[in-house]
Amino acid sequence: MDKNYHIFSDGRIERSEDTVRLETDDGEKKHIPVEHAEAIYLHGQIDYNTRLMSFLNDHGVAVHVFGWNDRYAGSLMPERGQTSGRTVVEQVRAYDDPEQRQSLAASFVRGSIHNMRTNVTYYNSREYELGGVIEELDNATARIDDASDISELMGVEATARRAYYQTFEAVLPDSFAFDGREYNPPPNPVNALISFGNSMVYANCVSAIRATALDPTISYLHEPGERRYSLSLDIADLFKPVLTDRLLFRLVNRKQISRDDFRDEVGSCLLNEEGRTTFLKEFEETLERTVEHPTLNRKVSYQYLLRLEVYKLKKHLLTGESYDSFKRWW
Amino acid sequence: MSDPVSRLVATAQGDAVDNPFRVTGVMMQYYYVCERELWFESRNIEIDRENASVARGTRVDESSYGERSQENLRLGMIALDLLEDGRVVEVKPSSTLTEPARMQLSYYLWYFDRVLGVEREGVLAHPTERRREDVSLDDDRCDKVESAIRGIHAIVTADSPPEATEKPYCESCAYHDFCWV
Repeated sequence: MDKNYHIFSDGRIERSEDTVRLETDDGEKKHIPVEHAEAIYLHGQIDYNTRLMSFLNDHGVAVHVFGWNDRYAGSLMPERGQTSGRTVVEQVRAYDDPEQRQSLAASFVRGSIHNMRTNVTYYNSREYELGGVIEELDNATARIDDASDISELMGVEATARRAYYQTFEAVLPDSFAFDGREYNPPPNPVNALISFGNSMVYANCVSAIRATALDPTISYLHEPGERRYSLSLDIADLFKPVLTDRLLFRLVNRKQISRDDFRDEVGSCLLNEEGRTTFLKEFEETLERTVEHPTLNRKVSYQYLLRLEVYKLKKHLLTGESYDSFKRWW
Repeated sequence: MSDPVSRLVATAQGDAVDNPFRVTGVMMQYYYVCERELWFESRNIEIDRENASVARGTRVDESSYGERSQENLRLGMIALDLLEDGRVVEVKPSSTLTEPARMQLSYYLWYFDRVLGVEREGVLAHPTERRREDVSLDDDRCDKVESAIRGIHAIVTADSPPEATEKPYCESCAYHDFCWV
């Protein structure tokens, strides 16, 4: 699996000979090796032209654009080999069949809770007392099969996630008080870290989905249209505990991220450039980390696990073979 | 006319067929390599284009015989790598899957004979190994092609693919992760 490249500065990227060149407004020049790029993430104000887009298209490199406060603004995806009418038809058919949609949505919830629980048990076995949270998560899991519709499943997921967030209060130092999950804008450092990390998980899921012929807008647990790429939300939920949360705990507890890595504004708190750089360096290293896969009989990167998840879903949709969501096994 | 073989001939000859049936050379090859792969191929389930062995196969096809192979002779359902002195030549990067390649070539010869009404001899070529093998269509081979056509029909009309079974070459298949994850 190839690498992600993040650009924070303002400037311009262009094709230069057979590679991509970044020229920042400060006059600095850098090259991005296109053969080894999975996607380029633009966090600053960047100019580019159509010649660059065709070049990236030829090399299958995606571009993810982030706007103000690093909110996901959209993607420029390579076009090659990613359209299949039949796949989209089967995707919609599964959405439209209440039983099949329910079973897919239930599988996403089951996987999400399982992966939250893995984090909780990890910290519970160390010095923290989190037995109550584990019990709440198990109660939520027990309710999955009884849920009669999607909104009940969403409720089960929400209950589980609320219980899970008690882990953040317990594990993180007092200077990083959490006070519950709040989004736009995040009011404190922990929420800022979660938001930033989750938006990276989300964008990586968009890449993984678009590398196959699945349509990223047709989803099962989340309602299509809730956000543009709602299938990314379905998949991302499975991986947030593995990719964002564990990293967040580690960075804060080892003081690699401190209060100085944020800038406070009225009613909001965001990572500053230094904080984002630190977080992303570790995030990308996490994506490259590998684990022995139980059925593929080889090591796969965490990033490739996202792609495999999309393959599993696609296989289910096209062959009728059952889908079992990602559950951390190590 | 329910026999897949006669349906295929009628389809290829442009007759009005209620239920046209097509078999390409690649489908014939897949039938002998992996029936599951054949089902995927028939549904246009796209392969992982980053897969190294897929890229390799394409490259050998394009480079070994230079300009000539770019033309890729299309004859209805089949597309020949090249014709050399009137002989049908099928180019393969390696000889690891010789029997499937031989059957693909046999199918081309059968197609020439039954659909186009011309007898042809065939050559299986492995340019990277500098090896060539003559193939001709005898009665035995002819029967084998026709029973394969019926077998292919049964697979591609099924609602779900045959179950995955582990084969020695699964590792290098573009569908490997799709099958085994």
